[in-house]
Amino acid sequence: MIDAPLVLAVPSKGRLQENANAFFARAGLPVVQSGTERSYRGRIAGLPDVEIAYLSASEITRELAAGTVHLGVTGRDLVEEEVPDFADRLDLVLPLGFGHADVVVAVPEAWIDVRNMADLDDVAADFRPRHGRWLTVATKYVNLTRRFFGRHGISDYRIVESLGATEGAPASGAADLIVDITSTGSTLAANALKVINDGVILRSEAHLVASLSASWSGAARGALRIIVDRIEAEAAGRSVREVRADVIDAEGAALVALDRFGATAPFGTPPGALTLHCQASKVYACAEWLRTGAGARTVTVAKLDMAFSATSPLATRLLGRLDGQHTG
Amino acid sequence: MTVDTTPLRILLSEAGFRFVEPPILSDATVFLEVAGEDLRRRLFMTSGADGREQCLRPEFTIPVCLHHLATGDAHRMADYAYLGPVFRHRAGESGEFLQAGIESLGRTDRTTADADVLALALDAVQLYNIDAPDVRIGDSLLFSAVIDALGIAGVWKRRLARAFGDRERLDATIERLSGGRSAEAPAHAGFLAALDGTDHDAAHRIVEDLLSIAGIRAVGGRSPGEIADRFLEQSSLAAGAGLDARACDVIERFLAISGSPDTALHSLRSLSTEEALGIDTVLDSFEKRSEGLARRGIDLATLSFSAGFGRRLDYYSGFVFEIYDAGCKPGQPIIGGGRYDRLLPALGAKVTVPAVGFALWLDRIQERAA
Repeated sequence: MIDAPLVLAVPSKGRLQENANAFFARAGLPVVQSGTERSYRGRIAGLPDVEIAYLSASEITRELAAGTVHLGVTGRDLVEEEVPDFADRLDLVLPLGFGHADVVVAVPEAWIDVRNMADLDDVAADFRPRHGRWLTVATKYVNLTRRFFGRHGISDYRIVESLGATEGAPASGAADLIVDITSTGSTLAANALKVINDGVILRSEAHLVASLSASWSGAARGALRIIVDRIEAEAAGRSVREVRADVIDAEGAALVALDRFGATAPFGTPPGALTLHCQASKVYACAEWLRTGAGARTVTVAKLDMAFSATSPLATRLLGRLDGQHTG
Repeated sequence: MTVDTTPLRILLSEAGFRFVEPPILSDATVFLEVAGEDLRRRLFMTSGADGREQCLRPEFTIPVCLHHLATGDAHRMADYAYLGPVFRHRAGESGEFLQAGIESLGRTDRTTADADVLALALDAVQLYNIDAPDVRIGDSLLFSAVIDALGIAGVWKRRLARAFGDRERLDATIERLSGGRSAEAPAHAGFLAALDGTDHDAAHRIVEDLLSIAGIRAVGGRSPGEIADRFLEQSSLAAGAGLDARACDVIERFLAISGSPDTALHSLRSLSTEEALGIDTVLDSFEKRSEGLARRGIDLATLSFSAGFGRRLDYYSGFVFEIYDAGCKPGQPIIGGGRYDRLLPALGAKVTVPAVGFALWLDRIQERAA
């Protein structure tokens, strides 16, 4: 089907859904649920070639890997856990700035002799002769755990699959230690667990992910370009500040600003006020120099809602990868 | 093109092995319990209606032993043969491939049974025109006897025994246990020094007090006593009470011994005499097995013994062997086998059951023929 729509999978519940909807709204892509509240289909106002599918985050990951949806919002932890060869099958287009969490190895605080993974290896090696059973790890991240333990040379353990309240497993006796997700560490502390020093497996956050194995029609590609362009503009808007200053020598000031602060002059150096785009982190230093070094009397700084560029580097790269996939 | 398995079936049947066909769909837990979590990535996993993890059998030894346990007394004598597909995820190769093999259970004349099984394995490869195979043999009982004779503490013996068969891991363990040579100072050196010379009970109380002072709840399967023991181990290692220079020297000289079984036996006897190891019993068994092999017409000069050779599954409990052909890829023997007296107890038998067997990779034979 030449004009099959782009299917965008969005989390169907909880904080992830709220954050994702807010994100799309900020990027000028308001998500509209079709029909009743309970409907699992939706669309984006003004983009007829996009269809929204509401799925759970782990379903989104699997559907992306299977190529039945084109784009989706899901956590990096789920991507790395559920799609072993994700680098070939998926494109992690963009981190979205929410859903931050670390996947960590946590042991009981009482294990005061265990500080790093080498200690854990030592404990694991001696555990079976002592207890007549393997050291057990409760987790839902079976693959991440196995790969990480493998990298640290730990082989004497068993995984106990856990689909909820993993942090309670050591206290209940279901397992000796856990691999789980944590954002503040407070749940771990409440369960008398501590993170091992070098036991952070992955720092995860929500990503916009594209499926390389989905079938991308012309219409879907067109929609992809629009979506990525707007998201990129929003992301640029978030990180960039517009700085205006009545400098004496606009051309010279623009050169110095680029060299020292990485600030660009997107509209050139017309007479009158100079307009710069500067990373938020460098704004104060830049404003300081514009007054002390470039003779400005007034400097204004404004937040941008969006910043579009003539070409969207992200969309270009992504479409290039899709083409590579087709010819290859 | 497929390999002809009829002559193999005849050979194994005539040798007194009865063919069994254990189920393809198996309880996955038992394989993971025996082999460890790392096997999981090779298993074709699925789950039953009750949610229990199942897998397609990745090999035959465990299913055959389970069949044995399910059909009568564990310690009875029984000789089984098998031939059929096994299933493992393998990069770039089919996940389904053929294996054949035997399991000889319950024979208490262990050295003779060992010799019978290796002789049969050699007959089996000869069916496929592998006339000059590379046969590697080893015996972990020799290593156990040596470290026993050196008076090494139980806790270090366990570490050494576990690393046996993986030279890199064994060297790292020896290095660590011999202390001093690693530049890295242990964490909490002051605490460990204070513990030096205390006994288990005192250390246990210190750890309990530490936890109580810090207000830490004890949860999980490791007790404060166990944590205390580990601190004591580290403390004694820091104080240089691991492997002494003589122990390291003897272990290194032992691991360097290789060659045909008779020349190796000579070196082993010299080492035992020079160092007064008193390991004659295992050396006598080793000799008896070699004689058995010679009696079955095997030229001992064609076997390569290596003192450090072991197979990396901890149910193997003594004699092990691997048979290679010139056309084999490295690390991919045509036959792997050995004695595994620890497996049946691990599967639930109440008594030790002598067990020895081998598995033949028919897909590798086929590949070689192609």
